[in-house]
Amino acid sequence: MIAYIVNLATLVAIFGIAAASMNLLIGYAGIFSLAHGAFFGIGAFAAAQLALNLTPDLLLAFLAAASLSIALSLCLALPALRVRGEYFIAASLGLQMFAVTVFHEAPSLTGGHGGLAGIPQATLLGIEVGTPWRFLAVAAVTLVLSLLLIQILMRGSFGRALMAMRDAESAAMAFGKNIPLLKTLAVAAGCGLVGIAGALYAFHISFVIGDSFTLEQSVLLQAMVIIGGAGTLAGPLVGTLLILLLPAALTFMPMIPPTEIGTVQQFLYGAAMTLLMIFRPGGIAGQSVGRR
Amino acid sequence: MILRRQFLVGAAATVAAPSVLRAQGAAYVLGTLFPMSGANAEFGTMYLNGVQLALDHIAADKMLKNGIDLRPIDSQGTAQGGAVGMTRLANVDRASYVLIGFTGVSKAAAPIGDRAKVVMVNGGGVGPDLATLSPYFWNILPLANQEVRAVLPFIKEKGFKRIAMIYTEDPSGMAVHAELKSGLPGVGGELVGAYGVAPTLTQFAAIAAQVRDVRPDAVFFASVSGVQAVQIVKQLRDNGISQQIMTYSTGNLPSVSALPESEGLVFTGQSADWAATEPTMKRFVTGWREKLKSEPTTYGLNYYNATLLFAQLAKGLEAAGKPVSGETLREEMLRVRTFQLAGGEVTFAENGTASTGVQLNQVRGGRIYKIA
Amino acid sequence: MLFIQLLASGIQTGALYALTAAGFALIFGATRIFHVAHGASFVLAGYAFVAASALGLHWAAAVLLATAVAVAFGMLVDLLVYRPIQRHEASFFTVFVASFGIVICVQALVQFQFGRGSVAVSTSLTRSAELLPGLYIAPVFWVAAGVSLALFTAVSLFLERTNAGLGLRALSENPELLRAYGLSSRRLSALAFGLGSALVVPGAILTAATTGIEPAASHRVMLISIAASVVGGIGSLRGAALAGLMLGVVENLVVLVLDTQWSEAASFVVLFVFIVFRPSGLFGKAVTS
Repeated sequence: MIAYIVNLATLVAIFGIAAASMNLLIGYAGIFSLAHGAFFGIGAFAAAQLALNLTPDLLLAFLAAASLSIALSLCLALPALRVRGEYFIAASLGLQMFAVTVFHEAPSLTGGHGGLAGIPQATLLGIEVGTPWRFLAVAAVTLVLSLLLIQILMRGSFGRALMAMRDAESAAMAFGKNIPLLKTLAVAAGCGLVGIAGALYAFHISFVIGDSFTLEQSVLLQAMVIIGGAGTLAGPLVGTLLILLLPAALTFMPMIPPTEIGTVQQFLYGAAMTLLMIFRPGGIAGQSVGRR
Repeated sequence: MILRRQFLVGAAATVAAPSVLRAQGAAYVLGTLFPMSGANAEFGTMYLNGVQLALDHIAADKMLKNGIDLRPIDSQGTAQGGAVGMTRLANVDRASYVLIGFTGVSKAAAPIGDRAKVVMVNGGGVGPDLATLSPYFWNILPLANQEVRAVLPFIKEKGFKRIAMIYTEDPSGMAVHAELKSGLPGVGGELVGAYGVAPTLTQFAAIAAQVRDVRPDAVFFASVSGVQAVQIVKQLRDNGISQQIMTYSTGNLPSVSALPESEGLVFTGQSADWAATEPTMKRFVTGWREKLKSEPTTYGLNYYNATLLFAQLAKGLEAAGKPVSGETLREEMLRVRTFQLAGGEVTFAENGTASTGVQLNQVRGGRIYKIA
Repeated sequence: MLFIQLLASGIQTGALYALTAAGFALIFGATRIFHVAHGASFVLAGYAFVAASALGLHWAAAVLLATAVAVAFGMLVDLLVYRPIQRHEASFFTVFVASFGIVICVQALVQFQFGRGSVAVSTSLTRSAELLPGLYIAPVFWVAAGVSLALFTAVSLFLERTNAGLGLRALSENPELLRAYGLSSRRLSALAFGLGSALVVPGAILTAATTGIEPAASHRVMLISIAASVVGGIGSLRGAALAGLMLGVVENLVVLVLDTQWSEAASFVVLFVFIVFRPSGLFGKAVTS
């Protein structure tokens, strides 16, 4: 049982990082990407390949995952600079769908439909950190560091400029903010961070496959942020906890047939998304985005 | 802890019988990791039916001192579902023996089971790399590469020269592709077109056009998904392909064989003689027909046998006064090696693979007939 | 001949995409709501038809039922979800998330009721015959093409010739003008949702007949609708329909040069390229920020 809880806590930490990075885009920069799952996957594949072929060192894996994600984040920054709103959503959607096809159809990079199996246990500065407790500690520390980083960034001038841009782009521009640079940096930061979450995920599950990084994953990450409360520090964490603990809690409910758990869970978070938008668009931890 | 489930609610109505057999002592935990939802739920239900039937028979015979507590987990047929489900079975439910299906699921779950020393038995996935996953991962059916060889004599006999192939780009589909490609020249055939598809594709009109364009004598398709297999057969026929269609064990699925377009479909599958007089087989076949009001399938048989195998191993351990765990189960398997299961004696190799024979079947009038 | 065959199946797929996308574009054009739950209407209509056929209803009755389900669903979502949200704020993203939530709920409910696998109706219409040497056409091809053309013409005429139609076209641009003409924007928005949702019905039914329909089909429909609307120029009915047709054709023809697995991705590359290089689409106005 303890092992199960440790496993779940590790997942919460990993998805907490991913959700926090999603929040960076949605909540602070107003960039509603539907391709975050793809970047989560890019980080995971980068870490997996590094671990399988060179070294299972976690810091190097973070570096590789983050740099690859950041480099590819230009694909997302490009439409973000050109268009807004529904057009950007559509572009990110296109990118997400294309990425999944690549994940599946480039076996030399991603293992194709078979995935990459047998990812070795992670090491950190030469120390094995693959055991459940140690890995939980590593994931938790990474989560705390990411949240701290986001907090510092958002309190600083970068964050203020970002939020000014989110609230009124033309006004921000009038104040001499470099909008294209801001957007590109925000996208790079968000994608880099989710790449790191992806690297942790790869080591944790020790198996990566394109199926784990589909549109559903992107939507799940979005749901975590929105249900929790976009634009707040605690929001994504609250959302992550709710969404990850829900299925686990449902498994322990005897009246729901185990075969229907996935469906019930899906229904609940779909309903939560819709109802929250009608009654409390700021999310559980949020104020109200309506004021923006 | 928290909530010990006293009862089980499994797939559909098939799990009507109480599946927890209480006796003195703690019950043995038997996990299943099958796709109970998703496009492959049809398989999972069939697998679980085989397990349930075996549990009924084991209970009726009072084979074991302790009961068997069945914990079915839904793998959704995905790798992630497999990894998460296996973690739960190994760490929360403390299962010593897990029945598993599907290649992707198995590959993701095997390292976890291996670490926790849980025996995993596959009776459904056919990817050839399943043979070497872990000492704790056993197979109780012929894998795809072994199975597909059985279609080659048929191709030779019919004089098919040009073969077109549609396959899913997952490990099992690719293994079948490789096997057919290398096997065809030996029987005077040639692979004139091979079309890889995503395992979720359901639109085959464009592929059908391409297949027709290479003018094959016969078409072979490899997909483990029943949903997909039905669409391939239907859309090939809809789009003017009247040539012989062949596949492998997917043809066993009732949804495939019942399809009007499947008339004449030839497919390989492991040997199973439902009319056999051998008592265990007879009991399985009558039991299945009575309980499920349908014809038995080889998948049902495999998981029936895999469950029976557990009971025989545990019985041996009980007799020797040893505890039942993944490690002792493996020792017992290596000690005994040959087991009397439905269909006859089954012998396991050192790596835990026990394959039965392969036969060739054909669909005629919605029923399956053995043709070779 | 392979080319012509693929073109034919592309037109069949594309005709249905065109109608569905036109419905999406109609709703978006009139109400400025990015109705991603359009895909859910599609799935509901398809399942209603399959269920009605399974009950032994005459096909015409089943078509009526499917239409009723789609129209009612579209109007209810507008009434119960979009309207309350727009009352307190009109952020595009809030509406989008709410709509997405509905897609997920509908998918779960359909799964719960009918299972996750695909369901299909069996008909002799899908069995093709050799029209020319090597060119096989099924009756469903003519049905798809004919129905799409007829419905599209009807909707265009409605929009151009009737008061309500003119009102719909003016709705997003000039609500004041509407009031002057004595038209209620609320009723017009209901009309847009009803009409737009009805346009998914032929696609849903014919999909159930040719390839089978599954609960998760809503995602694909949503993607195609969005892609076609963007490529066609958001809000342009004609553009969406043309782009839908084009996407269907591209998806089928692409197998001539690429492996089959890439056919779906091809649509999204087209979408991506359009957004980055010509966001106004084929017939739209410039929208770059």
